[in-house]
Amino acid sequence: MKIHHITGFFLMIIVAVICFATARSFISMHKIEAVYPSRFLTIQKKLSAYFPGLKDSPGDTDVFVFESQNPGGTLLILGGTHPNEPAGYITAILLVENLGVSRGKVIIIPRSNNSGFTHSDPQEGNPQRFSFDIPGGKRWFRYGSRLTNPIHQWPDPVLYVNPAGQKLSGTESRNLNRCYPGRKKGFLTEKIAYGIMALIRKEKVDLAIDLHEAAPEYPVINAIVFHENSAELSALALLKLQIQGFEIRLEASPPNLRGLSHREWGDSAQIMAILLETANASHGRLKGRSTTGLILDGKDKNYVKAAQLGRLFIPFDEKGVPLRQRVSRHLAALQALVTSLEELHPELCVELENIPSAAEVQKAGIGAFLKGQK
Amino acid sequence: MQIIYHIIVFYIAAHLIWYIFKEKKFWNQLSAAIVLIMILLRLLLVK
Repeated sequence: MKIHHITGFFLMIIVAVICFATARSFISMHKIEAVYPSRFLTIQKKLSAYFPGLKDSPGDTDVFVFESQNPGGTLLILGGTHPNEPAGYITAILLVENLGVSRGKVIIIPRSNNSGFTHSDPQEGNPQRFSFDIPGGKRWFRYGSRLTNPIHQWPDPVLYVNPAGQKLSGTESRNLNRCYPGRKKGFLTEKIAYGIMALIRKEKVDLAIDLHEAAPEYPVINAIVFHENSAELSALALLKLQIQGFEIRLEASPPNLRGLSHREWGDSAQIMAILLETANASHGRLKGRSTTGLILDGKDKNYVKAAQLGRLFIPFDEKGVPLRQRVSRHLAALQALVTSLEELHPELCVELENIPSAAEVQKAGIGAFLKGQK
Repeated sequence: MQIIYHIIVFYIAAHLIWYIFKEKKFWNQLSAAIVLIMILLRLLLVK
């Protein structure tokens, strides 16, 4: 055997080891994390139950329904529209694992864009996962991408005209929150949006809330974005939140910005449509190194400097904006919206039970309210 | 369509492996090995 055969052989071994390690890591991104619903869960379905066009596709996702014996309104909560905004889907999972409903019906979709959880944004260097300490162990969650996985939807058009007629850049065809009200025979992301619209209509949803996060330099942040159908509801909820000490603002959904949940849910299905935003430094453009610490603790010296220079739309200091604080904000806003709904429309009342308060999550942490493997 | 894609990727992978063993210069072998990683991942993981 000659020397170049020996070096070739060793290089092949190195290639095999690298392929094995990277393939294992890649495939692990497609594994869906378990959710352990509370004992009050009525039924767990798939989104394809509302739109069969999603069946066996990477866009199909779990839908958790909590229904009480007492009549009332129907509330839809979406997390994971953007899988790089963890406060949204962690709040939704925390609700699924704790919630009880004593009046009305609550429907929760924690991973609205299921495909977006299966990859990471290129050139961001984001960690694939982050974890919480729970009693007796750890719970890991994916940090995904804002967009549908290009493995599942490719190629992007040069110019994307969304179902509502808005012209956008091609990549936005993979952004669930630009694809409403969806298309029955469109791109995968449009089909997901179509499925969510079908759910809204079939379940006769009264109030729908889309849980998001925004970069600290983005003007729509720590905000309730509302469709005009829910202006009064949002204003009342804002008062309640401000009384509790939360700095939050109201943002009207622009009528000419089409394809977004807070616009199209209200226009197409005539329901009260709300989108909630908290501050997530880990998907901002000014962030430093992307680490699990940045996701969980929300500390970043670049953002501290940007705040000192007056470039941000929220206060940002060395303490950062930790995930537990962002989830607390979402929980407090949800509670405020639900109690406001009861005051304004008693016939649409939805009573939530057994969910941790914002103060409890702030004090004990998110992991204290998540379940372990059974 | 996918089978045609797989055949093309398999041909490139096989050609690279053959090249790695035939080539006498180490740095050329290494370059081919680096390319082979991506081709093999394509071959095995495309959905």
